[in-house]
Amino acid sequence: MSEARVSSEQQAADKALLEHLESRLAGGLEPEIEPRAYSHEEVLEVVGRLQKLDSNDYDAKLVVGGFTLEPYGVGEDEQACDTCMYYQVHREFCELPELMLPVGPKWSCRLWRI
Amino acid sequence: MANLLWLQGGACSGNTMSFLNAEEPSACDLVTDFGINVLWHPSLGMELGDNLQQMLRDCISGKIKLDIFVFEGTVVQAPDGTGEWNRFAGRPMKDWVRELSDVADFVVGLGDCATWGGIPATAPNPTDSVGLQFLKRDHGGFLGKGFTSKAGLPVINVPGCPCHPDWVTQILVGVATGHAGDLTLDEFQRPKTFFQSFTQTGCTRNMHFAYKVSATEFGQRKGCLFYDLGCRGPMTHSPCNRILWNRQSSKTRAGMPCMGCTEPEFPFFDLAPGTVFKTQTVMGVPKDLPEGVDKKGYVKLTGAAKAAAPEWAEQDIFVV
Repeated sequence: MSEARVSSEQQAADKALLEHLESRLAGGLEPEIEPRAYSHEEVLEVVGRLQKLDSNDYDAKLVVGGFTLEPYGVGEDEQACDTCMYYQVHREFCELPELMLPVGPKWSCRLWRI
Repeated sequence: MANLLWLQGGACSGNTMSFLNAEEPSACDLVTDFGINVLWHPSLGMELGDNLQQMLRDCISGKIKLDIFVFEGTVVQAPDGTGEWNRFAGRPMKDWVRELSDVADFVVGLGDCATWGGIPATAPNPTDSVGLQFLKRDHGGFLGKGFTSKAGLPVINVPGCPCHPDWVTQILVGVATGHAGDLTLDEFQRPKTFFQSFTQTGCTRNMHFAYKVSATEFGQRKGCLFYDLGCRGPMTHSPCNRILWNRQSSKTRAGMPCMGCTEPEFPFFDLAPGTVFKTQTVMGVPKDLPEGVDKKGYVKLTGAAKAAAPEWAEQDIFVV
């Protein structure tokens, strides 16, 4: 659960981690972009794998979550983080309990839900 | 003085328990202040055995005027349409229900089971249960689509699992004091005074619904329960956030998703694994959208709401 206010230290930590994650995605990490987790069973499968990860194993979170630096889909079917229910706009943060990491507004992952 | 008879079919007694906890007015107020004579009730009735059977027969014959017949629970028809799996006072309950409904001025179905079958009628429905005048969304039920009581009204359906105690007593007072004519019913014969608005109406999480901020855990004070945790508040007709439970709270206020228990489809998706407390989606978009909203509008609204969300909407504002 989020705190009443994000501290400046937390903001700095988020920013550093965001830059690190961005560099990992841009640097050749190969996330499992598909299949998308559209059915309940698929969501459970992906979330179940995420739950087994160390909370600091961000590479694995990016891979299993299927993160990309651009939105998946186009037009009405675009799946960008900034429209996802788990996305905190001001903190630029994904608060899905199994992810809990800073993300860019136009990133995307296969657990996207609106 | 209005005579009220309350019987129970395929039921868990939840609506009886709810009724006995009524406060405005209370079950006692019905008798002392509003002139309702409770002929018999499963938890309050004094008559037993032959005396009870005689009372029921006297109601059917007209010797005792039956003003209000309240039924809680499903009408059990199994096996093979005989109703023998739910015998009461010497015969299948369904036979009592038929004959008492025919002589009552008003018939009131209490709770989902009596209104449209509820959980017992969920597939595979082994007890062949139906509601008084509906089976889920299908009009007809046990008494038939065209049934009207002697006062000319169809069954007055007060759904819920259970229904709120004050919905029960307020409807009973209205009927008993000659105000039944003031009741307007919706397409499922629910009194509009209670079931025109939504569970979401009055929900303390509406600001989070507006800004598309999701709750991710049960009991969490921040966030809307619709987006992820299967809350059916925006699609469910009930006054749960207008007439509070125990005068204190509601499911959604306490961090529990509304399960849509005042709607004919309850329990939704036949309780298939993974459908309870989880918003069902199609390609990431909720399968069931707020009433009257289409996918295109929902996507646009979400984008705009997220973009406009103030910082406080994403924080826990309920700090100590």
